[in-house]
Amino acid sequence: MFIKFQGKTSKTLGQLFLQSIWQFVAIFALTVFLGFSINQFRDSRLPLFGDWSVEARLTTPSGIQLNLSLIEAKNLFMQKKCIFIDARPKDDYERGHIRGARSLPWHEVDQRFMEVTKDISLETPIITYCDGKTCDLSHKLANFLIEMGFKNVKVLVNGWTKWQNADLPIDKEGSN
Amino acid sequence: MMKKRKNLSRLSYHGVRIILGVIFIYASYDKISHPKAFAEVVYNYQILPDNLINLTAIFLPWIEIMIGVLLVAGFWMPGTVIWSNILLVIYTGALGYNLARGLDVNCGCFSTTKGGSISIEHILWDLVFLSLSIYLSFFIFRSETIERSK
Repeated sequence: MFIKFQGKTSKTLGQLFLQSIWQFVAIFALTVFLGFSINQFRDSRLPLFGDWSVEARLTTPSGIQLNLSLIEAKNLFMQKKCIFIDARPKDDYERGHIRGARSLPWHEVDQRFMEVTKDISLETPIITYCDGKTCDLSHKLANFLIEMGFKNVKVLVNGWTKWQNADLPIDKEGSN
Repeated sequence: MMKKRKNLSRLSYHGVRIILGVIFIYASYDKISHPKAFAEVVYNYQILPDNLINLTAIFLPWIEIMIGVLLVAGFWMPGTVIWSNILLVIYTGALGYNLARGLDVNCGCFSTTKGGSISIEHILWDLVFLSLSIYLSFFIFRSETIERSK
């Protein structure tokens, strides 16, 4: 594939390399300037350094903490004072879930919300969970339930793994 | 015959350049529009330390749009293709790494809300884009120094 750029001076490899480097740096500098400037003056401004702790991520704009500890979740479970809702895909739920938990996969929330929650009062404590420290399905589901009017919704972060590791009651595929 | 081949090559170069540029511009749009949602996506990848997440969410979409515009305009091509190669290698690596460790997270490739969990399909698409970028690099660096070989 040989293309001649008519009338153009040829470059040595060294010249081309230098050209690439300064263009690379210039693009970076322009991007930093643009990104920083526009971020500073926009409504949805993002702070340069954010608080990504679990507590910060699971705090609502009104300051309510959504996450609860395993011990708190276990106590509510033992006292039969709450409903667990599994935010994971249906296949994962059927392979195993917290005993008595209902399945409301986040990706099907629009289709299945009414069916799953029709008999739950707005004051009933609900605990959503999924699997993995970074799984945000339970968080998204919790926020959705709050928007739908449920007043007492909490999130058990990494709920499925924590529940199993603590040998708490579960229902598995094929079990009674 | 030779002239026909040259014209075809030039046409494919410009076509690939513009297609890749449009892809980068499109990819950046939702991320620039929703920086907080994109920061969540970056966080969920669980690769960067917490203090780099917001910085990445702020600057990465602007690098994408800058590369996209420069590719479409055909301006500063040597530096631009280096950036596009680096970004696509990073994206492919990040997707592959998280897929390998079974992380079920939103790809965030073109949208901060839709797009579904990362999958082999996303990696394959990134490899396609990377091959287009490498093709551009080859074209640029070879043609710019062609006279040297004479």
